Amino acid sequence: MKTLISNIKNLFHFNNKREALDKIVKLVFLLATIISASFIVIIIVFIAEEGIKPFITDNNGIGRVDFWKFITGTTWLEGTTFKSNLYGVGYIIVNTLYIAFLSLLIALPIGVLTALFIAKIAPKKLSETLRTIIELLAAIPSIVYGLFGSGVLLPMIYNLAKSFGVQSPGGNSVLATVFVLVLMILPTITALSEVAIRSVGKEIEQGSLALGATKTQTNFKVILTSAKSGIFSSAILGIGRALGEATAVSLVAGNSRTGPNFGVFDITSTLTSTMLQGLKETIGIDYDIRFSVGIILMIVILITNRGLNYVKRKIGNVDVK
Amino acid sequence: MKKSLILLSLLFIGSMYACTSDKTTEVLWDSTSNISLYTRDTSSGTRAGFMAGIGFDDAAEDDSLLADQFVIKDNTGILTSMATDEYGIGYISLASLDDSVKGLNFDGVEPTIENVVNNTYGLKRPFNFVIRDLNDFANDTEKEITLAFIAFLGTTDGADIITNEGAIPLESTESWDDIKEEHDVCNLDNSGITIKFGGSDSIEKIALALTESFSPKCGNFVPEHDHTGSSDGFKRTQGSEKDGDNYKHVGFASRPFKDSENGAEGTQGQLAWDAIVAIVHLNNEVDSVSAEDLKKIYSGVYTTWDQLLN
Repeated sequence: MKTLISNIKNLFHFNNKREALDKIVKLVFLLATIISASFIVIIIVFIAEEGIKPFITDNNGIGRVDFWKFITGTTWLEGTTFKSNLYGVGYIIVNTLYIAFLSLLIALPIGVLTALFIAKIAPKKLSETLRTIIELLAAIPSIVYGLFGSGVLLPMIYNLAKSFGVQSPGGNSVLATVFVLVLMILPTITALSEVAIRSVGKEIEQGSLALGATKTQTNFKVILTSAKSGIFSSAILGIGRALGEATAVSLVAGNSRTGPNFGVFDITSTLTSTMLQGLKETIGIDYDIRFSVGIILMIVILITNRGLNYVKRKIGNVDVK
Repeated sequence: MKKSLILLSLLFIGSMYACTSDKTTEVLWDSTSNISLYTRDTSSGTRAGFMAGIGFDDAAEDDSLLADQFVIKDNTGILTSMATDEYGIGYISLASLDDSVKGLNFDGVEPTIENVVNNTYGLKRPFNFVIRDLNDFANDTEKEITLAFIAFLGTTDGADIITNEGAIPLESTESWDDIKEEHDVCNLDNSGITIKFGGSDSIEKIALALTESFSPKCGNFVPEHDHTGSSDGFKRTQGSEKDGDNYKHVGFASRPFKDSENGAEGTQGQLAWDAIVAIVHLNNEVDSVSAEDLKKIYSGVYTTWDQLLN
């Protein structure tokens, strides 16, 4: 207690004018941080408050939603909407993770190789143009990707499925969702990987060349390995975007209501598209349950981020300038 | 390295080209294929209307009664999907029907506006309105303006606007000029009065057009629109939110009123019909369906097109 009071006293104890200014600026920074940090807390508290409701209240006579059944269920809703409490989100969690990691699997090699090309192989003018193109792609809003997906991709995938002898419902499938997500996370991965590759120290690259390695050997074995920390960060950001994408996915996924969907031409659904579906006209328990799905989504993102960060630390770091 | 990269990219481009096959050469429609089901979400008024029309009311809000695999999309999504999916079936509101898909006859009746108005086409849902309890208005002026608006809905002027917006109005014989003497409030200057409209967002376009036309006819009152869903129509005029910040004078619902939404006398009515039409791909051999057929398709009894055609 005494130290607390003396600390507060020290806060307002000025030796001279410059120190006073210093302290005031520090206070302003602290205030700014508190304001921005508090928004996250406010959002989390609000969503948690609404999302907990289906599990602890009686939902106007419908009954509580069983939490364990909720996170292991293979059907979104058994029974009549607005009258049933048998919600299940388990299969959607599996679907979301499956789709997100599949998109990352496809987008990461393409993104990293593009970044390598832009940073090391392309002539200067070409790399400037390509960099602008990548930045433009990153700036395209997700609804545009969704419209592109539903207008152009769906017929293509329908015909592709037909040529394999598989009847696909209008092209809405896992493949369509993954395609759209790859398009969306590609610019993020490319831009960040490019920065990581460019910041690899010149000495490392020139040392390898001096020892007789060819340019390609240097690029792959030395530069990419040195930039792996930055590339992994780009992957983490990419998968964050893939997990959180709602509009584009809901237009091409097909919104399946049962079971985990693994087949490439099967319809699917993600946590975000489930929250979005029918949002405008819904009330009561059906509305509250979407906040619960939101909580699950935030937990999934948190766990994925933590997990990937852990792997990133394990991968190690090469000192880059 | 270079050569294999070029070869790979050529193969990729080639396969993409081959996959976008020319649609006009694909005329062979295989009736042994499975039916791909498309539907709206459970909270959609169109779905409620469709399911009620085919005698499958329980499936309006219950996904587990439908066949196993079905795609959920919104109105435009179903329309665009049906233009590609040769073996799909879905339903949209009649106003959105265009040449890119085939609208099926319902019980032998063609899906046109004339057939809805003369009551031969059976697959339709009502657009309803509800106003505040007549004793529950803040002042008489607001009540008179609201009642004048309701009268306007039943005139030929109102009917024209409703038709313009794609819905099908009820029978009307008088124009606004014929009945405006009964509504003296419209001769006053009402520019200080705000009348609030809300409820179904399917009806939003129609409501906006109606108030835009009616406001200058009735003292230039200020219409305020906030459409948040059919359920809010009754809730915010005579239900749990009628005195809160979201209170409304007129609410709309794109479905019949539920039992829990019984209003006071003279406060509820219908302004239009919205017809729903089942659609298939242009190459589909089916031309007409009955309510029974549609129910069997959507409940999963019919799984292939052959079963329907025979």
